[in-house]
Amino acid sequence: MEGVMTMDKTIVELLARRAGLDKALAQFPEDVAAAAKQASDSVAKMKAPSDPRAEPWPPMRVGAGL
Amino acid sequence: MNDLHWMTVAEVARAIAARNLSPVELMEALLERIARLDPKLNAFIRLDADVAIHAARAAEAEIASGRQRGPLHGVPVGIKDIIDVAGLPTTCHSKLLIDNIASTDAVCVSRLRGAGAIVLGKLSTHEFAIGGPSFDLPWPPARNPWNTDHHPGGSSSGSGSGLAAGLFSMALGSDTGGSVRNPASACGIVGLKPTYGLVSRRGVFPLSFTLDHVGPMTRTVADNALMLGVIAGHDPVDPGSAATPAGHYTSALERGARGLRVGFVRHFHEEDMPAEPEVAAALEHVARTLQTLGAEIRDVRLPTLGEFAAVNRVILQSEAWAIHGQWLRERPGDYGQLARRRLMSGAFLSAGDYVQAARRRLEMIGAVEAALRDVDFLLCASAMDPPCRIDDPEAVERTYPRQARTPFNVTGHPALAMMSGLSSGGLPLSVQFVGRYFAEATLFQVAREWERAAGMENKHPPLT
Repeated sequence: MEGVMTMDKTIVELLARRAGLDKALAQFPEDVAAAAKQASDSVAKMKAPSDPRAEPWPPMRVGAGL
Repeated sequence: MNDLHWMTVAEVARAIAARNLSPVELMEALLERIARLDPKLNAFIRLDADVAIHAARAAEAEIASGRQRGPLHGVPVGIKDIIDVAGLPTTCHSKLLIDNIASTDAVCVSRLRGAGAIVLGKLSTHEFAIGGPSFDLPWPPARNPWNTDHHPGGSSSGSGSGLAAGLFSMALGSDTGGSVRNPASACGIVGLKPTYGLVSRRGVFPLSFTLDHVGPMTRTVADNALMLGVIAGHDPVDPGSAATPAGHYTSALERGARGLRVGFVRHFHEEDMPAEPEVAAALEHVARTLQTLGAEIRDVRLPTLGEFAAVNRVILQSEAWAIHGQWLRERPGDYGQLARRRLMSGAFLSAGDYVQAARRRLEMIGAVEAALRDVDFLLCASAMDPPCRIDDPEAVERTYPRQARTPFNVTGHPALAMMSGLSSGGLPLSVQFVGRYFAEATLFQVAREWERAAGMENKHPPLT
């Protein structure tokens, strides 16, 4: 999506600690960095919906599924 | 009877019902083959040989006394090890769940058993059905029977490997980003991701609630239709289960392709992710063959593979984080590296990212629905490359995302992958057919016509 920033090391560490990943950060810092990169790459490649009124799927729906 | 291991599900069921084949004789033949070949293939995590032989004897006695349980009576089945089988561990191929014994059968297993199938054991997967072939887990990864130096696809790796090797007649897999269709493509078998909600997910360890599907894996199209007929149907306890009843999936098998309108999604493999030339050539050959058989081919455009993949990843990683977050905080070292990296990604996505992906998802559903209004089904690539070497992590990393399967996890449409030919290196190439919601019968119809025209049901790896 436009305007999506890549995460630098400080942001990655901040978000990892906020998510409770202190142990992973200490033991597997490269894996944490790779996970953060995957996430930001995915968001960057996603287009925003073309219509501001676009609804999500699946919708909140009472009763049966598809 | 020769080559019991290559008999189809339909042939086995017919021969057992007519008392021309003993379920015990079949089971013993398969167990001998498993003992000989599985040390090279690693398809099984847990082989339940004694229980399977006991069940085969019980089936023989029941049939002798005139009791027929159902259309799969005495047919052996392998179960991906994220799916519960009562009394056996569901490990998800992970150290984290190594002692996790299931107390009840998953609904799909219960339905197979109700139809008379016999569970042979639990099959290898990528850890928690994500990542790739890993060598840092309690069990080794499965290997491709066409060449054991190569990857069998995943994450339902043991299901694909064991079927292609003739270790069992049918298997269950699961598919969140292509995990039934990837091993079907790499191992040259038939794998179906049904319409979302058609097969219950109850008793299946989740990866991503809104993307997970359970699907049948077999060596022939007719067997796949037969198996789907047994496992499909509403489950009121699965919140994602569709209210639509199971269809008559074998009814259209022999109707041929004449008059069918085919939407060929060429831009997937020509522009979005240019396929290896022999993959592209095989796809053109499938299209030309169907045209010769009376189908009409039209070009169709959908959103790009890159967009579909991004939406799939944001949804998958967000939902998987909700499932795995606690373990990743407390026991990150108990995951293999590949799964740990993939599953932690969700920690770096926001609620807004997830909702944006869900909104874009609805637009993508609209695009596929619009395309399917003008054609009866879509034809497109499954994998863009032949299966790579399993011991080459860079090749795995490069080729794994080069696929056109995730779009239909995003949209929930049924999609079937099968062999389109063999590469110059003797490895399977693949094609994918995609249908309207709940129109699996049409997929089986066209897949059967391609299988018949190309003689695909008789192609097996040269195992000794």
